[in-house]
Amino acid sequence: MANTQDPRTDEVLAALVQGNNQEAFGVLMDRYQAKLLRYGRRFLAQDDSIVDVVQDVFIKAYENIQSFDATRIFAPWIYRIAHNAFVNEIRRKKREPLLYVDLDAILSHPSYEFDPAADEERTQMQTLINRGLDALAPAYKEVIILYYIEDLSYQEISDILQVPVGTVGVRLRRARKALKDYVERI
Amino acid sequence: MSKESEIKTNVFAKIRAGEISMRSRIYFIARVALLLALVGLAILSAMFFLSFALFSIHQSGQEFLLGFGQRGLLAFFELFPWWSFCTTVAFIFLIDFLLRYFKFGYRLSMLELFLVAFVVVMIAGIGVTFTPLHAILLDTADHNALPVMGPLYEKIHDSHQEQGIYRGTISSIQNTAFVISRDDNDKDTDDGTWTVVSPPGFSTTTLYVGERVYVAGTLMGGVVEAYGVSEFALDSR
Repeated sequence: MANTQDPRTDEVLAALVQGNNQEAFGVLMDRYQAKLLRYGRRFLAQDDSIVDVVQDVFIKAYENIQSFDATRIFAPWIYRIAHNAFVNEIRRKKREPLLYVDLDAILSHPSYEFDPAADEERTQMQTLINRGLDALAPAYKEVIILYYIEDLSYQEISDILQVPVGTVGVRLRRARKALKDYVERI
Repeated sequence: MSKESEIKTNVFAKIRAGEISMRSRIYFIARVALLLALVGLAILSAMFFLSFALFSIHQSGQEFLLGFGQRGLLAFFELFPWWSFCTTVAFIFLIDFLLRYFKFGYRLSMLELFLVAFVVVMIAGIGVTFTPLHAILLDTADHNALPVMGPLYEKIHDSHQEQGIYRGTISSIQNTAFVISRDDNDKDTDDGTWTVVSPPGFSTTTLYVGERVYVAGTLMGGVVEAYGVSEFALDSR
């Protein structure tokens, strides 16, 4: 686990990878493998292909590392690659219909965030997530995972999903409501 | 060793075997440049078709219909160059689609991005109408020297008599009526003369022989009962 304790930031490591430093890429893989596997397991539910998909995510990250702007945050960049890979996997298996046109992103929405410090709300959400996450539509499931499980900010989620920040807020609000409604029903 | 713990080993094995390699920075710069070139091309195309629609309305005299009351308004929308306007809108959608690859593109809602692109294209398109571009292209088309786009420009000269539109040169004036003649130099069936009865309240004293006019009305027994008449100083042929 020495690699995960490396004091260098993700962005510094990514810049080193851009200079052909493969050891730095190994450190990044150590840091993100567990996170991406968790993200994949939650998003795709139990799926035998998750390990292969995450492996492809790292391959794509390595191939495209020169497109990463090292002045920006690394996490949304690699989560974006993972998001695309997971969505493609869902489409490939045609398990659930995914809209090509994002209806939530057509109109602008006011962007406000929930109070992330509301521990009570977080605890309540963890219970709801454990009981009903798999029942949500992929678009709702994903924002819940990224916000409550991966602990990413609205801005980072906006960069991963490539939708306006206001849309992230709206989707998260609807996802919370859908999750509560579902858990109340069962 | 579990499958999960093999991820790193497998990826590095592929890198070392040369099965995967880093794409160069030039590749990504070229891709962004290509995208920007496509956006530029789409903006120019949208500007062109929008300015063509405006030029067509102005050059054909259709803009006068807006001052001819309700009937004029209906005729205006009937004759509006919708295909050109729709092509403009299609290009704006293409601009939206391409801009969503950029960070500033997806941070705006689709509607906001569409409106921004629409306003930019509108302003730029109106700006183009102040240049001689379309007049030059029309003149080139009139001399049968404009390939591909030629027929589009030649349509500006269409008579639209079926929609009750008559353009021509005044050959004589008698009290509340006047005679106009049309000749679009192609010796076809829409050449000829019409007697036009002025709309109520319209004074023919402002007209003179040899003046070009734009008339909207109903043709009955060789006489046009006009509901709108406007002087038409532009080259209407």
